[in-house]
Amino acid sequence: MAPRRPDYTFTHEHLLGIEGLHPLDIAHILDLADSYAEKTRAGIRPDPVLTGKTVVNLFFENSTRTMSSFEIAARRLGADVVSMPVANSSVKKGETLIDTAMTLNAMKPDALVVRHSASGGAKLLSRKVDCAVINAGDGTHEHPTQALLDLLTIRRVKGRIEGLKVVICGDLAHSRVARSTTMALHLMGARVHLCGPRTLIPPGTDTWGAESAGTDFDKVLKGADVVMMLRLQLERMNGSFLPSRREYFRYFGLTQARLALAKPNATVMHPGPMNRGVEIESIIADGPSSVITQQVEMGVAVREAVLHLLAGGKS
Amino acid sequence: MSLQIINARLLDPATELDSPGAILIEDGKIKDIREGAESAFPGVETTIDAAGLCLAPGLIDMRVKTGEPGDEQKETLETAARAALSGGITSFVVMPDTRPVIDDVALVQFIAERARETSKARIYPAGGLTVGLAGEAMAELGLMADAGAILFTNGDIPVANAQVMKRAMAYAASRGAIVMSRPDERALTGSGVMNAGAFAARAGLSGIPPEAEWIGAMRDVTLAEQTGCTLILDQVSTARTLEIATAARKRGAKVYTTAAAHSLFFNERDVGDYLTYCKVNPPFRDEATRQGLIEALKAGEIDAVVSAHDPQPPEEKRLPFGEAAFGAAGLETVLSALLNLHHDGPLTLLEAIAPVTLGPATILGLPQGRLAKDAPADVILFNPGKPWLCEREDLLSRSTNSPFDGRRLQGRVMQTFVGGERVFKR
Repeated sequence: MAPRRPDYTFTHEHLLGIEGLHPLDIAHILDLADSYAEKTRAGIRPDPVLTGKTVVNLFFENSTRTMSSFEIAARRLGADVVSMPVANSSVKKGETLIDTAMTLNAMKPDALVVRHSASGGAKLLSRKVDCAVINAGDGTHEHPTQALLDLLTIRRVKGRIEGLKVVICGDLAHSRVARSTTMALHLMGARVHLCGPRTLIPPGTDTWGAESAGTDFDKVLKGADVVMMLRLQLERMNGSFLPSRREYFRYFGLTQARLALAKPNATVMHPGPMNRGVEIESIIADGPSSVITQQVEMGVAVREAVLHLLAGGKS
Repeated sequence: MSLQIINARLLDPATELDSPGAILIEDGKIKDIREGAESAFPGVETTIDAAGLCLAPGLIDMRVKTGEPGDEQKETLETAARAALSGGITSFVVMPDTRPVIDDVALVQFIAERARETSKARIYPAGGLTVGLAGEAMAELGLMADAGAILFTNGDIPVANAQVMKRAMAYAASRGAIVMSRPDERALTGSGVMNAGAFAARAGLSGIPPEAEWIGAMRDVTLAEQTGCTLILDQVSTARTLEIATAARKRGAKVYTTAAAHSLFFNERDVGDYLTYCKVNPPFRDEATRQGLIEALKAGEIDAVVSAHDPQPPEEKRLPFGEAAFGAAGLETVLSALLNLHHDGPLTLLEAIAPVTLGPATILGLPQGRLAKDAPADVILFNPGKPWLCEREDLLSRSTNSPFDGRRLQGRVMQTFVGGERVFKR
């Protein structure tokens, strides 16, 4: 995949977050991912650029979806993949993240895909290992491949990212997806508006690149090209963040009536897994505006691109 | 036996003395002080030529944690004292949150004895305010005070129950005991790990909001007023907390305040990419708040500056930020942190050392902390401008988790004396 600018090279050692990426980096990843998506759709096997490479999936938090996505992506490119769902194993007890990292590092993998419940977990790991580290979600900090797959999905559906109005609604305080996706969209020229209950809006969302962060979903939906709903952790009901599911759905649930406030051809997204009837009506999730399954498809393509760039040697 | 230190720049915040001169030491006490360039005393056995170095009272640090007893891998009284003396600290108060908690007479005596046996610094045990620091039952404040506990505190986790706090303060007041409390409404602090705000939100870290400190301070100051108890608000991190204390003082309450030296040096941005050495409680606040704290120090609203020394071994710090322990080693950097506010800030040299000499001596009623005739000869010689690179490997604490690691600092202690005996020389 030739870069858009002849003088451009992808120079990053790791993918720890969207923060630190240049718009050219993002465009380059998306272009490469797009070509992988096309190949898959056409039934063409991609070049095995990761032959002889070892990719280790190290998941301290359970996530079947993301781990499978990375696993499939790595295998498609010919890598040997070891997936370690550490969340349930003895590694989690007593052994620290760094000890685990040092142990794995001694086995000389080419890429380490890590998910950890602590913000900064991937960064900490990257300081201790010699291989590429890909952050598959660290606490409430970042989830860069999710952001990239969101962007790729939007770009494919809308034909562009620049200038679009994107509304992201839900639990912004605890969402790594909201942070990464907002930053990435902003870098690529979209106008991002955040929405959620006051108790779940953190301070400083302008530093992520959001144009606004408010509590009036109806108002912000006007003119929206893309509506992205976030998963509401049902535990939030117990932490006095919210009164009830019913009240949440009343003000922040995406219904057909509400979607009608956005642009007529507005696209609906969700990083999954969904709470149907809590943040989104089933009829929308399964309806024509929804690109939720496409997001999953683009997830594999984006991860192929990222693994290719970080573990595959020169592109 | 007599000793004189000549050709010094004498600094004494108590008398606002800043002049060339000499001091004469006999029997562990300051026998005489002479100002002027040619001021040597005649007929003295030993003479030390300070060659223009500053001579100041040894520093008094009101808040030091060690791991003794129970967590000696972190720090012992001996290793803490060694670090303290090299940092110019000749007297310090050790906190009761050890294992077991220092909450009875025997343990107070244990600390005092271990300190005498193993170190040359003057170490004062603080007693636990409640049994086991559980915040439920008052500890034996009277008996512990009689055994030498210099003040009482619940340590890092304040007494949550206001009724228990009120009774403990009322009782302490009746025994003439001092209560030190960290103002912190824990329900608001929650699981926070750094200063609340945009920076924490972006890093995905849960925040400790300043209002947790304000509400805690309002409660404790109110109870101090109502009970007549002498209260030290421990490690104030915002100027607004000081306003709460100042307002109560104007009404006659006996309220003192301290701030941690590192809070005057660092702001929340120093946490950077999840640097756990910068994980402390109270957290480093934003820059405007830090500046407010410096202004308050200049205005005399902070009575004492503490090291908040809380050494943590690597296994407690080599973790993701949210999981790492709070605490920073601080004994060896207090003086440099304060001198930074002289070199790059608004403080005079006397103002920079007052909160670690006269301030704590006044609060605790100690005779040292000043250059006065018959005061204990606890003094330091320091070079206020000497540059040095703070490197973890060079620190003398058993645990070297200093946020100053890798920083270029100014001001070094060259010699330390306790009771007229030289106990440290660089």
